[in-house]
Amino acid sequence: MTPPDDAILVENLTKTYQVSEREGGFGAAVRSFFKRKYRDVNAVQQVSFQIRKGDVVGFLGPNGAGKTTTLKMLSGLLHPSGGTARVLGFTPWELKSDYLRTMTLVMGQRSRLSWDIPAADSFLLNQAIYRISDADYKRTLAELDELLELAPIMKKPVRNLSLGERMKVELAAGLLHRPQVLFLDEPTIGLDITAQARIRTFLQEYNRLTGATILLTSHYMADVTALCERIIIIHEGRLKYDGGLNELSHKIAPFKLIGVAVGNAASPDLSKYGTPVTNAEDGEKSFIQVRAEDVTQVTARLLADLPVHDISISDPPIEEVIEMAFQG
Amino acid sequence: MLNVYKRLWQVNWAEQWQYRANLVMYLLFWLVSPVVYLAVWTTIARSQGSVGGLTPNDFVTYYMTLLIVDQLTSEITIHIFAYKIQDGTLSGELIRPIHPMLTNTLVNNIAFKALTLMTLVPVWAVLWMLFQPDFSSVTWQGILLALPAVLLGFAVSFLIGATLTCVAFWTTRVWALVEFYWALVVLFSGQFVPLQLMPGIVQQIARFLPFQLYKYFPIELVLGRLSQSEILFGYGMGLFWLLVASLLFRWTWRNGLKQFSAVGA
Amino acid sequence: MHTLRVIQTFLKINIQTSLAYRADMVINILLNLMWLGWELLSLSIIFSNTNTLGGWGPAELIALLGVFRLVNTLMAGLLWPNTEKFNASVRDGSLDYTLLLPANSQFLVSFARITIWRAWDLILAFILIAVGIKMGGDTTSTLSILNFLMLTISGAVVIYSLWIVLIAFTFWFTKFDNNVTILQALLDSGRYPATIYPAWLRIIVTFIVPIAVATTVPLQALRGDLTGWNVLLFIGVGVASFLVASRVWKAGVRRYSGASS
Repeated sequence: MTPPDDAILVENLTKTYQVSEREGGFGAAVRSFFKRKYRDVNAVQQVSFQIRKGDVVGFLGPNGAGKTTTLKMLSGLLHPSGGTARVLGFTPWELKSDYLRTMTLVMGQRSRLSWDIPAADSFLLNQAIYRISDADYKRTLAELDELLELAPIMKKPVRNLSLGERMKVELAAGLLHRPQVLFLDEPTIGLDITAQARIRTFLQEYNRLTGATILLTSHYMADVTALCERIIIIHEGRLKYDGGLNELSHKIAPFKLIGVAVGNAASPDLSKYGTPVTNAEDGEKSFIQVRAEDVTQVTARLLADLPVHDISISDPPIEEVIEMAFQG
Repeated sequence: MLNVYKRLWQVNWAEQWQYRANLVMYLLFWLVSPVVYLAVWTTIARSQGSVGGLTPNDFVTYYMTLLIVDQLTSEITIHIFAYKIQDGTLSGELIRPIHPMLTNTLVNNIAFKALTLMTLVPVWAVLWMLFQPDFSSVTWQGILLALPAVLLGFAVSFLIGATLTCVAFWTTRVWALVEFYWALVVLFSGQFVPLQLMPGIVQQIARFLPFQLYKYFPIELVLGRLSQSEILFGYGMGLFWLLVASLLFRWTWRNGLKQFSAVGA
Repeated sequence: MHTLRVIQTFLKINIQTSLAYRADMVINILLNLMWLGWELLSLSIIFSNTNTLGGWGPAELIALLGVFRLVNTLMAGLLWPNTEKFNASVRDGSLDYTLLLPANSQFLVSFARITIWRAWDLILAFILIAVGIKMGGDTTSTLSILNFLMLTISGAVVIYSLWIVLIAFTFWFTKFDNNVTILQALLDSGRYPATIYPAWLRIIVTFIVPIAVATTVPLQALRGDLTGWNVLLFIGVGVASFLVASRVWKAGVRRYSGASS
């Protein structure tokens, strides 16, 4: 039984594929005709987590880590090889009609809309299929229009929309039935900075307005830092980390970055104070990486030894932190 | 130049060989209509003894020959070239110092023929056993006489097909035009039934049109059923249409290219 | 009813798309008329050379032409466009979205595209059938006509079911772009009564790719050649084929989503 405020409950979810293997060369090709060799791919291994209603959780991991596979299992597209999952009390891969009406999956790299017809027509189709009453449809559409500014782009054929506009109508199409759980797979991929920011703002607003649970995967750290208080990191099919973003920083990389602008020399040699790192964003300062506990000491030495006229102490960029999490 | 053709042949043949699985399906298309019409006319001929002077066996030999002649004279240019105009890939071929149509497309057509004929042979053998045709009217002279006609038929059909494909330079509605052309071919080439059985007026018009070069004329030459004057007239018409088709093609190709480069790829 | 509402919406969308290409619609209708003209011409050529075609008269052949055009409309107007859309959705992954919609996926895949101008062809087909029956005069009883209509519908269901099974093959053999070619290739055999075909062809078009079940069989019912049991049998075949096709489709979807059974 799913506890009342859990939207998603995943226990030891596992997915193993069998991929046929074939070496190159003529001999191997002939042999493979008679006997196929298979190799197991452990896409997802014993992953467990719980997500409460209304949470926005980021799902991170390098390519091929198992994020999309997990999302597909949670949405019901894939049957797992082992383990269980309950979303809003349903077993997703049973694809019960009632389940499908309370969730949505939006994949940034795949379009659900027909290219030749205006988005508005696809919306009407969804209304019919999801059995949305005219009143509800009008209301939801009005809300989405306000948050996403759909009016100018709804009537154009999807083919003629820019990438950013297309993502907006894709999201809108997926939200017409007011789902309580949103699975978003790379929703901002390929979009320019402004479009990305707009989508992020929209998701924040949507979550605030409707209390929908959102599980999203992304490559862009900005998505995660802007939207998610909690992140789950998957690497090679295994869960590596499940917790807050800030705690991740402290847990995995108890480092700090010290940036100093030194008076006379252009690039002073700071290697005896810490590990020099390059920071493209700040050309004026030189940066070193120092263990968190050594910060005070090293800062004092720097200030004493060098003609410092500007100094900063910051956390390492989140990308690096997560990179390190992937290694571990 | 010969080297160019040799290379093109190697490339195209390899390409066709890759698609050999599709060939079985494709051949089904090609076979069904003639076999169906054969069934229709032999049924009629059997119930009456003969139709329009043709015995059941005459029909069998006609359609069996048609299966081969059709493969030899047909062309697929619209299928392999039209898209290049429409999506701009043609630009790549125009930069090369050889004529895209008269080289690559032509060789592609021939490679396709070679593959379909290879696949057709066993099928044809099976049909022979099933229909038991009597080909005694066929002589070596007949076949030799038919060979140039087949070449002529292919040349004309290729050039007209290429001309129609060039219409794609101006409009996307080229397919409608091609469909209309195919209807004309069915009507006037003897695909449905030997032209002797078509209404008189159709026969009269057909004599002056190129379409019978594609099927009826070569078939009747093989079966040895044409008089000398008919043979001469047929070849004369064929050469006339070869000239017309060449001119038509040259004109549409040249102007089509102008249109293509004006609009941009 | 929900299904009706969805079909209504599909129709509406497809009509709107067609209207955007009005000129193409006109061209298509003209070409269609041209082919009809050719088909009628070929029938007249046949019957100027004989009185019966293997026992079938001109009236019956015209009715058959109508049935053939009905089947052709089903194929060209519904099955081919949806095959294209289905194959594309498998390639670009949008099939996933279809499977997650709270509606029967087989239904959605069958009706997503409808070639609207072919409605015209439907009307023509019914006119041909009516003309054929009328020309047959008093020889056709009301029961025969009823049987004829029922078997026409049942025959169309058989063709539809075969189509579903063919496109469902893609779930098992992913690179199967030629899935419906065999249907398209053998369609032409439906123009004439299968009774005139040599045995081997008759078997192929009755049992393997049952075009004849959709064309010749209704024609035989019209002439009163079929017993009541025959008619029930063929209707049963139609129902059974639909059930089998639905099973195959469901199994295909389960296979696609990696279900273990």
